Amino acid sequence: MLALGRRALSVQFRRAQLLMPTFVLPLMLLAVIASGTSAAQGLRGFPDVASYLGFIVPGTIIQGALLAGLTSGTAMAADIEFGFFDRLLAAPVRRTSLVVGRQAGTLGLSVLQSCFFLAVAFLFGARYPGGIGALLAAIGLAAITAIGIGGLASAIALRTGSLSLMQSIFPFVFILLFTAPAFFPRDLLSPALRDVAVYNPLTYIVEAVRGLLQGSNALGDPLQGLAAAVLLAVATTALATFALKERLRTL
Amino acid sequence: MSAPSALPVALVLWRRSLNEVLRVRGALLPATIAPVVFLLGMSGQFGRLTGLELFPTDSYLSWIVPLSCLQGAGFAGAATGSNLARDIEQGWFDRLLVAPVPRPLLVIGPILGGVTRSLVPATVVLIAGLALGAELTGGVFIAVTFRTQQAGPLMQQGVFLAVFLSTAYTPEVLLRGWLANVAEYNPVTYVLELARQATVSGIEPSLAHTWPGLLALAAMIAVLGALALAGLRRMGR
Repeated sequence: MLALGRRALSVQFRRAQLLMPTFVLPLMLLAVIASGTSAAQGLRGFPDVASYLGFIVPGTIIQGALLAGLTSGTAMAADIEFGFFDRLLAAPVRRTSLVVGRQAGTLGLSVLQSCFFLAVAFLFGARYPGGIGALLAAIGLAAITAIGIGGLASAIALRTGSLSLMQSIFPFVFILLFTAPAFFPRDLLSPALRDVAVYNPLTYIVEAVRGLLQGSNALGDPLQGLAAAVLLAVATTALATFALKERLRTL
Repeated sequence: MSAPSALPVALVLWRRSLNEVLRVRGALLPATIAPVVFLLGMSGQFGRLTGLELFPTDSYLSWIVPLSCLQGAGFAGAATGSNLARDIEQGWFDRLLVAPVPRPLLVIGPILGGVTRSLVPATVVLIAGLALGAELTGGVFIAVTFRTQQAGPLMQQGVFLAVFLSTAYTPEVLLRGWLANVAEYNPVTYVLELARQATVSGIEPSLAHTWPGLLALAAMIAVLGALALAGLRRMGR
């Protein structure tokens, strides 16, 4: 399982084209949003925070988690399409470890991403009044979320075995992100989006990360975020395991 | 090859590029859905920014519609680039290279296909925006002209960054720090300004808002087209 996790992670760093969406793109979006919308702090109802960058960096962390999870599914689809997955099936390992190993890689990737985003944002002026413990908890929450999205992506990959389908899912990740208060306070979202956000688990996760980093429960409840992330991870990992069993049944 | 026979070749390659959309189910779906998602998501997230002083419209949807059209056109162009890359990877393009046709046509055909394909997401975004209440102050014609962004096979993420390093979210006067400088030199800023004459009530249609956008489009076509042809020449060596 660890070997599979390590393989999943090393593939990320050996292919530059995979680093772009997982590390560079979220950071670019963070920089653009920070610079493009920082005037929003002047709006009535915008929470009083130490730094605007610190307020929006949770959106980037969760975006990273989404992309880490999606990358995991894409890599699995590539393994299936190019036949490597069939070879893994013939290996003397528990078959569920093929899913869990991939998830371990996703977890590792998410932790690295979150540390990277937090460090870069800090260098550019983001402050985290929540302290070190809160930082670690936020990184943990993002990692559980990445597992959740990775489970969903792996389930789709196992079900379809189509690399091109997985690649075309990329825009849909943003539906999840934009229907949560990723970069703006929930109270200032449009009324329709605010209604939708209530049903999006990422709402509670991103608010929890924000609350942790800013050291303020008024911005987000960490327990609610943890519950949402764990539920997502458990449900989608079960879905992926079920998809694997279905795939094996039809072989 | 004489000029009269060059046109049919370009048309055949153009039609082949379009067949990839017509015969592959759902081929245009990601490029069409993604900008609509951005349109809805960004207007929902950042809609209150119109409450800021100096924001030239009360409707954030109107501000963002041209951006999403441009994004859709860019994604369609990126898809054309991906298909060309696939043709190269699978050896089909090598066969085209030895065909007795002028080589620029091998790139011009898919680019024409990209231009045509870009009309679909741009139109869908425009219709979605209007249906949701975006204003149309100028004319539809201006709003869909940025299909010429297809001049180069940009990849999806390149499109993403090029579009966002501009006045994507807020007007130039409200940009802070480095982005204000980058946006000033990003041609996409001027293409957006050109298009926003059609949707943003605070931007009066005028030549001053039009010619920089047209110039930016011409420059993008020239530079990205030259890059594509340079790549083609490298392949032929």
